Amino acid sequence: MSALLVALTAVMLLPLFLGSWRVSLVGLAAQGALLAAIGYRLHPDTAAPATWVLLVDLAVVRGLIAPLALRPVAVVTRQARHDIIPPNLLSWTLAVGMVLVAFRFADVVEPVAGDARMMVGVAATGVLLGLLVLSTQNGPLGQMIGVLRLENGIALFELGSGAEPAIGVHVAQLVVFVATLVLFRWYLHTLPVDAAAAAAPGEEAA
Amino acid sequence: MIHLAAALAPWLGLLAVAAPGGARRAHAILVVVAAATAGLAIAGAAAPDEVLAGGYLRVDATSRLFAPVIDVIFFGVAVHLWTRAGGAAALVGTPARRRRRVMLILAFGGACNLVLLGNDLMVMWLALEVSTLAAAPLIVRLDDPASRVASWRYLLFSTVALGLVLVGLGCVTRSVHAAGLEPSLRLDELPGLLAGPPDAWRQLGVGLIVLGLATKLGLAPMYSWLPDAYERAPSSITALLGAVQFNAALIVLLRVVHVFRPGSGALLGGELVTLGLLSMVASTASLIATRDVKRLLAYASVNHGGVIAIGLGLHREAAYGVLLYAMSNAFIKAILFLTAEKIELRCGTRDARAIAGLIKDLPYSGVFLMVGTFALLGLPPFSSFLGELLILSALVASDELLVFAAFCVLITMSFVATGRTIFPMIWGQAPTDRSPARQSALAALPKLVFLLVLIVLGIYVPAPINDLILSVATTLEGG
Repeated sequence: MSALLVALTAVMLLPLFLGSWRVSLVGLAAQGALLAAIGYRLHPDTAAPATWVLLVDLAVVRGLIAPLALRPVAVVTRQARHDIIPPNLLSWTLAVGMVLVAFRFADVVEPVAGDARMMVGVAATGVLLGLLVLSTQNGPLGQMIGVLRLENGIALFELGSGAEPAIGVHVAQLVVFVATLVLFRWYLHTLPVDAAAAAAPGEEAA
Repeated sequence: MIHLAAALAPWLGLLAVAAPGGARRAHAILVVVAAATAGLAIAGAAAPDEVLAGGYLRVDATSRLFAPVIDVIFFGVAVHLWTRAGGAAALVGTPARRRRRVMLILAFGGACNLVLLGNDLMVMWLALEVSTLAAAPLIVRLDDPASRVASWRYLLFSTVALGLVLVGLGCVTRSVHAAGLEPSLRLDELPGLLAGPPDAWRQLGVGLIVLGLATKLGLAPMYSWLPDAYERAPSSITALLGAVQFNAALIVLLRVVHVFRPGSGALLGGELVTLGLLSMVASTASLIATRDVKRLLAYASVNHGGVIAIGLGLHREAAYGVLLYAMSNAFIKAILFLTAEKIELRCGTRDARAIAGLIKDLPYSGVFLMVGTFALLGLPPFSSFLGELLILSALVASDELLVFAAFCVLITMSFVATGRTIFPMIWGQAPTDRSPARQSALAALPKLVFLLVLIVLGIYVPAPINDLILSVATTLEGG
């Protein structure tokens, strides 16, 4: 389990330093695959429908559909670079600092060392880095990648919470997530690349 | 069962619109379904409490009090759209586009009704998320490219807000699990599971849930989506967001306050009062600066959200006032946003400096804007006055004198800022080169009904409604 969690931390962190949308999308796919592997470790009963819903959610929807949904639009933009955090020392320090804060937080709330504590640390890393990406992006593609990173962090957090949601609730959550991806694609097709600059929504009607 | 029927009616309407031939009758189906939903919600106000759908849904005083409010407003907006179907920005475009929009409006209404009935915080979260996904495309106007960005910002902030709520729910689950109990997010089971002293997980969970819901309600610091979405969306959709979805999100917050106040009262109170004051400060500054009518009403919504948050943050005394204020606030926003659409169509602008003499130029809309603004500012005899007065009294009774002073200063500033922008629009010199506008009585009817409800709630709260408000207030007080 620890190796999976270390790998997940790596795929959450490393794409931030490489200014490429391909790496960002591959990173999302890798996050989905690793989350599915962790989910299978925690719920190995393949006879239970809930396990299959979990695996479809993590491996298929988060690992495949989500990155593929964003890919064609990313290709159309043809940007040679697509930094999802600003490529400077301050941002990189903030990103690494957030990882340290996340693991320190896990030490405080999970006093016993082990997989449970590490899962909290990695999940908090995912949430914090997702928020960092969101706070530094103006364009919809980068913001969507930030949201999906945040959602992956939340998914890991739920995996380790010790509670199994009812299968109906989990399926409904999955449907809502897929509907969100459909909307994301629609926005990517209709929004300008730099939404904030194009909008100026705060200007007065006059 | 009557409430379940009310919650399911919009989904059945959605299927009817999606069926072959549904496009032609889309508006009529919307009105019929909204009327049925409102009728069922009103009839269900006297129904007994019951648990539905295997415990995932339930009818209680809170759902019986708020279902008629949001469903009557939903019906009013449906009638408004029907009367304006030929030219309203919300429904222009091809028949297919119109059908899609009516389907989204029905999904939105159905999801908001499910939020009211939720007996499980996860079910409420899901319903709120569905209402958000349905509302986001509705914000887009074909004639306004900036509305796409506003719509995206609405979805982005809502997704983050609901993500925070989900993390918070996960923290609460961990807290229950750590106590050696079987985790559950059912509202009727949670008080028993949270009987022990709060641990770090629970406190963190409560903090995140409140922050996420505050963002969904448009409270500071993460409120910047609200003015953009409210300004750019077609006004009928703004009315749905401000009056229907706001109350759906507020009900989730009321449930959270009810469940978590016994163990985490200090944290809840402190966070809500802080967010409320921040919202009042931010919105008052923006109210002073803006001259766009819809944006001004949006900032007033942030301001009112702040008032509600402060009232909820107080312990015992303000609950009745908060509920009265929230109900009246829904009707006020519906009146004003629907009126703003008519004014924009007539004057071709939302800039208050370019609009004058509405009382002569557009008599119905002028009167609705005038009376709605009086209610917005919390003047008697409207229920917003009574609600605000009760919250102020509660601030004094709770010895929150600094908050009281800040509240008074901010509310006075927002009063002056709103009045100085809106009143010249009503009584200024009307343009002489325009022929009198044609105004249909049917189009004015929803706003007239909303106005009557506001006045009735302000002058004399009928006994059955009063009993319901008292009952919900008792749950908020932890009693």
